[in-house]
Amino acid sequence: MRHRNRTPDVMAISEHELTVMTNDLEQIHHDVGMPAMNRALAEWTEKSRSSRRGFLIGAGALAGGAVLAACSSGSSSSTSTTKAGSGSGSSTAGKLTGDLAVAALAASLENLAVAAYGDVLTAAGAGKLGTVPPAVATFVTTVKGQHTQHAQAWNSAIVAVGHSAITTPDAALVPTVNKAFAKVTDVTGAAKLALTLEDVAAATYQSAIGAVKATSSVKVAASIQPVEMQHAAVLNFVLGQYPVPNAFSPTSDARPLTDYTG
Amino acid sequence: MRGRLKLSRSAPEEGRVDVDPTAMNSLIEESQDLHHDAMAVTAPALAEMVETGQEARAHGLVDPDECREVAARRSTMVTSAVFGGGLLAAAGIAGALETLFASPAFAASGADVQILQTASSIEVLAVATYKTALTLPFIGGASANPVVKAFATTTMQQHMQHLDAFNAAITGLGGKTQTNPDPVLAQVVQKAVPTLTSPGPVVALALELEQGAAETYVADVAALSDANAKKVTASIMGVEAQHASVLLAVQALLNANAPQLITLAPGNVANLPAAAGSVGFPDAFFPTDQARPASEGALS
Repeated sequence: MRHRNRTPDVMAISEHELTVMTNDLEQIHHDVGMPAMNRALAEWTEKSRSSRRGFLIGAGALAGGAVLAACSSGSSSSTSTTKAGSGSGSSTAGKLTGDLAVAALAASLENLAVAAYGDVLTAAGAGKLGTVPPAVATFVTTVKGQHTQHAQAWNSAIVAVGHSAITTPDAALVPTVNKAFAKVTDVTGAAKLALTLEDVAAATYQSAIGAVKATSSVKVAASIQPVEMQHAAVLNFVLGQYPVPNAFSPTSDARPLTDYTG
Repeated sequence: MRGRLKLSRSAPEEGRVDVDPTAMNSLIEESQDLHHDAMAVTAPALAEMVETGQEARAHGLVDPDECREVAARRSTMVTSAVFGGGLLAAAGIAGALETLFASPAFAASGADVQILQTASSIEVLAVATYKTALTLPFIGGASANPVVKAFATTTMQQHMQHLDAFNAAITGLGGKTQTNPDPVLAQVVQKAVPTLTSPGPVVALALELEQGAAETYVADVAALSDANAKKVTASIMGVEAQHASVLLAVQALLNANAPQLITLAPGNVANLPAAAGSVGFPDAFFPTDQARPASEGALS
């Protein structure tokens, strides 16, 4: 990845201070954010184990009522760097239902984001995106790591009931993302695509909050949705757009549960 | 965020930026258009709440035991929280609990109404804080960074909309609207006012409020029982998180003595230091340790 030269006088100091700040925040994340999230996940997985039937039935009925709003998806195929899996990625027969189906959909969206950001890093490393600003490189690397953690979180309850983790991206979106990525030639194009993915993820989890049954499921969705919104804010900033465009976050981009259930 | 960031360099008084005010206004207009689209989700939820609330009142569905249970859950959360030493933390667990237990509100109104009234009280305070900040020359005056000024103005308006939404939700559930600020946080802001002599302290105060609001609403969506109240709150929590994200970035650039980089000018990202790429979203999972007690801003 090529980095643009920076002015050494002020930014050398700024870089150091900002790095210290980032390390500080990372420590806070582990001290505060993760224990809270771990408690929620522990509660979630325990609930899925102890009351599997009720846990699974809950959102199933809601999904049948189309609580998760549909949005258009492409169907054309293209040369792919992001691979769609065959089915859910599960080796267990049968589809998950209820809250766990929502978790499966969410995990597939996280897998898609991880793959897409990975593709961006690969393309940048190959010099296909032109000059990549250092802040963008940091953003992509950090966000990819957070989406990996989100995928693990969503999968934790799925694995707890003996189902295989969802390890493949949302198959309904993969053709669209691949087609869009094939046209990306610079950082701006990559940021626009990433913004779409973040908006979709945030909208889907916001819809999920109203769709899932278990309180622990709500907690997981609620702890991740604002983070995707923050990613979107930074991407808007990168694109020179106002970073907080809505007073109320929309759900129009939410993916339907049929992305997972078929 | 969370008041733990201690950098040695003092914040600069002001920064030079090359933002075109016309372009900024255009961006804000675009944002407002998008906002109207987003309201398509929130408005029906509020309308449904009104209908459901009328039904609930007609059948006496408010459960005092439920109210106490919610208050107790939040109490447990507050006492077990790891406060970070920031301005909100300075309000103290004791202060929060004092308010929690002293308030007769949770015995008088539904748990959802209490939660929503507290949310309204936070929004009232946020609006007042931004309004006050905009009277300062380095935030809303001639010497202000245009981006910071536009952000403060737009964010104040967004909080006004949040206040309207929460109060509409309260009305829908048969409760009384809250037009007063959160009493505990109001004291924190009041104490901070004399220190607001440069952009840095103002940004720090706003950051504490935004982070506290976002964390409160994240906790609220799991505590609320009314589906539409949950939807309304869910549509706001991420927006507060975005406000916090912007303020984190602004704070970092001010502390790094690089206010000239606080700009939406095309290509500015190329000038940002690497660490700026991640400073706006420090947590992979949004925390709730600074969520305010559910009945802190509830009406008696």
